[in-house]
Amino acid sequence: MEKQIKRTILEQARDWFESDRKVILARVIQTWGSSPCPVGSNMIVNDKGEFFGSVSGGCVESNVIEECLDLLKNNNSFKQLEFKVSDYNAWNVGLACGGEIKIYIEKINS
Amino acid sequence: MKLEMLNEIIQKKSSSQNFALLTNLTNGNSEIFEFGKFLSNDFENYKKQIENYHSLKKNGVIDGTQIFIQNFTKPIEVIIVGAVHIAQYLVDLFKNLNFVITIVDPRKFFITAERFPNVKIINDWPEEIFKKLETDSNNALITLTHDPKIDDPALKHALKNKFFYIGALGSKKTHTKRCQRLKESGFTQEEIASIHGPIGIKLGGKSGPEIALSIVSQLVLESNKLLLNSKK
Repeated sequence: MEKQIKRTILEQARDWFESDRKVILARVIQTWGSSPCPVGSNMIVNDKGEFFGSVSGGCVESNVIEECLDLLKNNNSFKQLEFKVSDYNAWNVGLACGGEIKIYIEKINS
Repeated sequence: MKLEMLNEIIQKKSSSQNFALLTNLTNGNSEIFEFGKFLSNDFENYKKQIENYHSLKKNGVIDGTQIFIQNFTKPIEVIIVGAVHIAQYLVDLFKNLNFVITIVDPRKFFITAERFPNVKIINDWPEEIFKKLETDSNNALITLTHDPKIDDPALKHALKNKFFYIGALGSKKTHTKRCQRLKESGFTQEEIASIHGPIGIKLGGKSGPEIALSIVSQLVLESNKLLLNSKK
């Protein structure tokens, strides 16, 4: 009998990788104050800008996607991102909740 | 992260193992941690702290280091006795939570793959099933048949094996009778009181999906309490 089937974020990452997409894994590594997604939350982004999962409940996802695409463009393998309310880009994305989060993004390599 | 690592995590998750993913944030290296496993130089010096975070199921950057630990914990295994319509709603609600479900029912016409696609079902008496299934305090039991000859053996097994959650569907009257039977079988007042009966938190609903939601809510509440207590 089959186990309950749930498409997980990591399985989706593997599927993308196997269909020749470039894949970035983004994970929440630290939070301060109130933030919608707990440490360990993850999201994946591919080179087409498609994403799956969540790191902030919608507040900074667009910025994270941009950073992931930059990482690919610059041929880097990892980077830490920090989002605060006082950031210059808070007006655009920011965290409405007043929290701060640190996100670690890394490329999946063969 | 290497594809190999990704595959290893997926494989370990699907076989319900307890482990952690360690990442060195300064050089990007990753490694799997399990108790008793040898770690590479990147992480070996911090083994004590890593073990500490892992046993507390704490995710985060380990104090004073640049090591990020993400724990993957074995899901709670929920055994549902009674392949009735509420069980179908339960399967739907549990889908996005960290629970693994097994449905058992000795009645063949209830427990069919058509009614329960994509979930483990066992067509047998709970008494027989529990002889083969390995269970412990990581298990939860939900009984839904309110038929003593099906529910009671499962409840007795769960009490003896210290399931962390036991809930039994049935009215107050049904539950009082159930408690009486368990008392006669030699269970203590305290043990009997640990059964959530009538099952579920009070949402005020009477429909199948609402009862299922009240059961899932109660189970989530209890499992979170468990996690909080372990962090104290």
